[in-house]
Amino acid sequence: MRRLLPYGLAVGGVLAITAALVLVSSRVAVANLGLAYLLLVLWLGARYGKWPAVFASVLAILCYDVALVPPVGSLTVADAGQLGSLLALLAAALVTGQLAGAARRAQGEAQAMAAESRSLYELATTALRLPEVAAALELVRQRMLDVPSVREVALLGLEGDRLVRVTGPEPPEEARREADLAWRRRQPIGLMLDGERLRLLRPTGRQLNRCVLPMASGVLLLTVTDEEVPASGLRLLAALLSLAGLLLDRRRAGHEAERAASLAASDQLKAAILSSISHELKSPIASLRAGLTALLAPAAQLTRDQRELVEGLDRNASHLDHLVGDLLDMARLEAGGAVHPRPEALDDVVGGVLHRLRPELAAFALEVRVPVDLPPVPLDEQQLGRALTNLLENAREWTPPGRTITIGARAVDGAVELSVANDGPPITPGDLDRVFDKFWTRRKGGSGLGLAICKRVAEAHGGTVRAENLRRGPRFTLVLPLSPVGAPSRVPQATGEPDGDGRVLGGIRLC
Amino acid sequence: MLVVDDDAEMRRALRAGLTYHDYDVQAVGTGEEALRQAAAWRPDVVLLDLGLPGLDGFDVLRRLREGDDRSAVIVVSVMPGEQDKVRALDLGADDYVVKPFGVDELVARIRAVLRRQAAVAQGEPVLRCGALDIDLARRRVTVEGRAVRLTPTEYELLRHLALNAGRPVTHGTLLRRVWGEYALGDSYNTRYVVAQIRRKLGDDPANPRFIVTEPGVGYRLQA
Repeated sequence: MRRLLPYGLAVGGVLAITAALVLVSSRVAVANLGLAYLLLVLWLGARYGKWPAVFASVLAILCYDVALVPPVGSLTVADAGQLGSLLALLAAALVTGQLAGAARRAQGEAQAMAAESRSLYELATTALRLPEVAAALELVRQRMLDVPSVREVALLGLEGDRLVRVTGPEPPEEARREADLAWRRRQPIGLMLDGERLRLLRPTGRQLNRCVLPMASGVLLLTVTDEEVPASGLRLLAALLSLAGLLLDRRRAGHEAERAASLAASDQLKAAILSSISHELKSPIASLRAGLTALLAPAAQLTRDQRELVEGLDRNASHLDHLVGDLLDMARLEAGGAVHPRPEALDDVVGGVLHRLRPELAAFALEVRVPVDLPPVPLDEQQLGRALTNLLENAREWTPPGRTITIGARAVDGAVELSVANDGPPITPGDLDRVFDKFWTRRKGGSGLGLAICKRVAEAHGGTVRAENLRRGPRFTLVLPLSPVGAPSRVPQATGEPDGDGRVLGGIRLC
Repeated sequence: MLVVDDDAEMRRALRAGLTYHDYDVQAVGTGEEALRQAAAWRPDVVLLDLGLPGLDGFDVLRRLREGDDRSAVIVVSVMPGEQDKVRALDLGADDYVVKPFGVDELVARIRAVLRRQAAVAQGEPVLRCGALDIDLARRRVTVEGRAVRLTPTEYELLRHLALNAGRPVTHGTLLRRVWGEYALGDSYNTRYVVAQIRRKLGDDPANPRFIVTEPGVGYRLQA
């Protein structure tokens, strides 16, 4: 009924105007009276579009010809000029109708888009405000299902390196495989998202299509029917996709923060347990050694035999302390998080360790070949000190008194090597690979952990260890990689600085 | 001398061992008792275990240093962690010893600490460390009689190590003392300056005569 209304108006209008024109033209002669129809045609065109206007103009031409062009009452055209104005009327009808129609369509679309943006905005604010990301994603999913031709939607989120269903039905096995594939290759299947524009690719002959879109923190699985999706639907879908992408990012960030927190907590727990075990094991040894050594004071007036007995017991207590220390060190290194490397001057670390061990190494000739101009090495001073101590203690066990222990360091390609060589019996070639194994030892009473700890320390620094036989005896080497290329190395070299005007380093003027 | 340790066997062993070395020793098991005793008879040296139940070693140290107590404090701990050492030294401990240790080793540390206290009390104008002489009044540094030219920063750092000779000084303390309370920067600065001083003193970092590196903690000038 509504569709016929413009035509009714056209008929009514044309007849009314024709009647009016007949009345007027019987009283006065007016040229181009036909133009009066133009008003009606323009109005119809603007209001109802092209077709009512064209209908009205054709009707107007007929009525005008019959009622006003002589010979009145018949459908003939005598005057070429009048024919021209009639054709102009028709053209005006067509053009106005076209323009008005386009304007009306544009207005309709603008209104639709405004409504669409408003509802998207509302959805986005609601979704982003929801504390539960999964609930927010479900909202978005429901909205996607409203898009014509979308049959099913599922969202998978990234947890660690696995994709886990967050919302939507559990995807079938095949869909999961596709999702994994798409994720690994960062390659969508069945659709294309080019910036804001979404395109569905439809292989012919399939009723239902599965589309897979990998995103930064998850994957979208979309099942669509083969109906055409209107442009507005695709636009809405693209917007919802980017919202879902944001929410998946948020979910992943939350998840990772949680994971990091729980890892840190477990590291802390391990450290606390180890520290408590360390306390329990070391305390009795501490009072044992303190008590035994107390008796060694001359004022205690022990006989020679008693003294020797006590000295022997103290040596055993020291040995026990050492074994417990090795075990705890190993446990700490294996628990992880024990190494905190920062750029250090290697000669400094070597000096600190040698100074501490000097009394124990007094029986040997020490040769220190550590250049002062080595580049700074990222290392954990305490752990590396431990490794070097173990290497030196190992050398001490195998070097005949009076012979040489050599501590060497040199820069090699991208790394610094720290080695301890000693005069002494070579290692059986078959054992060279095994000396760094846990609990492997060449001597009785060794924990078999000293060199294994060296290996763990080197590995914790991203480095390696090796053992080899030189002409005079075995050599053990720690290879410590330097900081990555381009990283700032802030420990200045200790050589060749002029006494001049000082320099600025790390925010402080040095002079 | 006051021994603070929650382990009764340890207290007994140290009391015996130190008494044999002619020290007058009292031993207590808790932080609260330690503070009471320290206030009552002002021991020359407090041997303080960090792992005490209740009021722990750090708290005791802080309270001791808050008062006008000038006892030397040697911190004792089974935990060889650098952070604990640094924290204790920065709170004003004079030295630390890692358990287990022999009484001889402990006595050597006690003597060094007492010697330094005496030197500081006398306000000696010239600090001597082996072949190294630091004349505080004339700001002159000599090694084996040969004068060494140091920049003001280098001199200041060396002076601070010398005033604490034998005692480990943390990177953080050196930074604050040499560059001021609000110094930016970190241990790289002290490392750099120490490297310079060592070079000028003819000290080999890998085999130091004067300035010894305390791994992860700081430096100690050999007494």
